Amino acid sequence: MAKYEVTKTLDVMGEVCPVPDVETKRALKKMKPGEILEVLIDYAMSAERIPETVKNMGHEVLEVVESAPSEWKIYIKVK
Amino acid sequence: MAWTGLLMGLIFGALLQQGRVCFNSAFRDLRLTKDNYTFKIVVLSVALSTIIFHFSAQLGWIKMNPAAFNWVSTILGAFIFGMGMVLAGGCASGITYRVGEGMTTAWFAVFSFGLTAYATKKGALNWVIKGLSKFDVRTTYAADSLYAPKTGVTVSSVLNINPWIPALIFAALCLWYVFGTKTTQRKTKINWILLGILLAVVSGVAYILSYKAGRNYGFGITGPWVDLFSSFLNAQKLNWSSLSVLGMVIGSAIAAIASKEFKLRMPKNPMTYVQVLLGGFMMGFGASIDYGCNIGHFFVGLPMLAISSIIASVFFILGNWTMTYFLYQRD
Repeated sequence: MAKYEVTKTLDVMGEVCPVPDVETKRALKKMKPGEILEVLIDYAMSAERIPETVKNMGHEVLEVVESAPSEWKIYIKVK
Repeated sequence: MAWTGLLMGLIFGALLQQGRVCFNSAFRDLRLTKDNYTFKIVVLSVALSTIIFHFSAQLGWIKMNPAAFNWVSTILGAFIFGMGMVLAGGCASGITYRVGEGMTTAWFAVFSFGLTAYATKKGALNWVIKGLSKFDVRTTYAADSLYAPKTGVTVSSVLNINPWIPALIFAALCLWYVFGTKTTQRKTKINWILLGILLAVVSGVAYILSYKAGRNYGFGITGPWVDLFSSFLNAQKLNWSSLSVLGMVIGSAIAAIASKEFKLRMPKNPMTYVQVLLGGFMMGFGASIDYGCNIGHFFVGLPMLAISSIIASVFFILGNWTMTYFLYQRD
């Protein structure tokens, strides 16, 4: 599973909308270019929305992996 | 004919769940992430509903029955509701469909929302509505008009013009916004344009069936939850309205289970439950004094061009942006 060298893991499982989105943005702001953020998420709407939001922020979405039914891992590389 | 409420609720709930149609997100994302994806779905749906409702009324299938405008409570209630939906993590329809997805915070939010709406419409808080009702503005329509005989004021009643004129202008403006401006991209299950069309069609059919069942309004959330609580607490027979909201929860649950999206979701910080209870309280109170929530006003009332719904929609959004700022933008 260690496909990426994850710098930080953010667990936002079970959080209400839009906490996953906001926490992802806050975590990215604190990180340095080249670092990789792993977001653990079980909320479908945010899993669909976060990739576009972070792309618009200028970061790179490496992959969105469905790790279990309705659970995803989003890998984001900070630019 | 009350069973048609259950049927329409099932379809509506499944659509909201699969389409992730939450008005809280729609309003909030415009500001928080400059994302108009969900907002465009609901605006497209409102534009098409405007045509569908007027057309249905023209053919005598329904009588449009917009909520009364109130100089104080439309503004105040809508603003409180708008702030409440951010705390609750979803609008009235949003928390309703999330109940079926297994979002445990939404279970607490709807209880708080439904009970508070019940208390405000029929119980201990009813003095607020009684006290403010003197500021209600209603009007009388001719028997052959598209509107119910005594109902809320609309753009056409205020300007004294044919209802089709503002309806067509409004629908055209909405469509121009939807298709004439840049749309945020997102990978979703249902194409957003198709979703907007489906929602409008379901909403139109729901209005017609509800009218046939003797209830002159389209989909709602606040009134239906109050009716469902009322059936439960007072052993009353389920009606179109309570069956529709029950259908939404079941429809969402079926869709979520079938697509393997059902999961009991619990936040790590237990304070979140306190937050959603407060949000539900504000939503129940606000939507009762302003005579409608995001569905009653924005989704069904705007297409009828009710003054109450236009003002309420503006203050839903302002309330939403205010609370979003305090919770999520100060960093």
